[in-house]
Amino acid sequence: MANTQTAEVNAGGTTTRAHLPSNKDMWVFVLGDLVIFSSYFIIFEIYRHQQRQTFLSAQQHLSLSIGVVNTLVLLASSWFVAQSVQLTRAGEYERAMRLTVGGGLCGVVFILLKAYEWSTKIGHGLTFGSNDFFMFYYMLTGVHLFHVALGLVFLGVVFFELRNPKLRRVSMVETGATYWHMVDLLWVVIFALMYVMR
Amino acid sequence: MTTTKARAITYVWIILSAITLVSWFLGPARVAGPAVASVPITVAVLAMAFIKARLIIGYFMEVRTAPAWLRLSTDAWLVVLWGAVLAIYLW
Repeated sequence: MANTQTAEVNAGGTTTRAHLPSNKDMWVFVLGDLVIFSSYFIIFEIYRHQQRQTFLSAQQHLSLSIGVVNTLVLLASSWFVAQSVQLTRAGEYERAMRLTVGGGLCGVVFILLKAYEWSTKIGHGLTFGSNDFFMFYYMLTGVHLFHVALGLVFLGVVFFELRNPKLRRVSMVETGATYWHMVDLLWVVIFALMYVMR
Repeated sequence: MTTTKARAITYVWIILSAITLVSWFLGPARVAGPAVASVPITVAVLAMAFIKARLIIGYFMEVRTAPAWLRLSTDAWLVVLWGAVLAIYLW
């Protein structure tokens, strides 16, 4: 097995020692990004507190169904990517590549659904300037969408890494996966705060 | 390849998707008339999102088996974020 730094599991399935997936730099970036997003989330909640009825009525204009489907799409993409990490460790590169493509395709579906969602909102006259809720809606989902796009670039790098027998570094595949799961994680928070809580 | 870890990832994915489907019935967009704030629904939604976030971090991002500093930082992030959101909501 190509991976030397993985502590991995023993035959009984119990973890023997800790393993840091990806690398420290990626995790510093992830934790930093989570903190930045969280400050936006908290500012959003403060505005919500000050304009409860405005935010609640604005939430009713969101497409809950698209929100749910998009969450399921990102969760599926994360399943693909997480399994592809397992397959890479086991040296099953072909299957790992196919699953990485599956994860990327889910990401594309997410972007298309988000574009459709935005265009219907704008079609109904709900734009960035409509009220504070929609300002946050476009800002947060927009910044998140940029992360999805960047995540697709990461998955592309992982794909070419896996395709080249001279590369195939497990840590590289883990780095792409860690970033991709962060995108999924942030969406789960955005979905709960904007679409579901009331 | 179905290792213990691969199976756990699949189970977690099923749980995450199931929790997401529950949200479908809770959002204010489901209400026909004017939406009313609901503390029980919001607390339930925040609790479910907390669980989802922790499952993603633990099983997908594999923090469950990562060094202690990472487990502690991600748990601290979860508690601070969801604690702050809940506190501001109930304030």
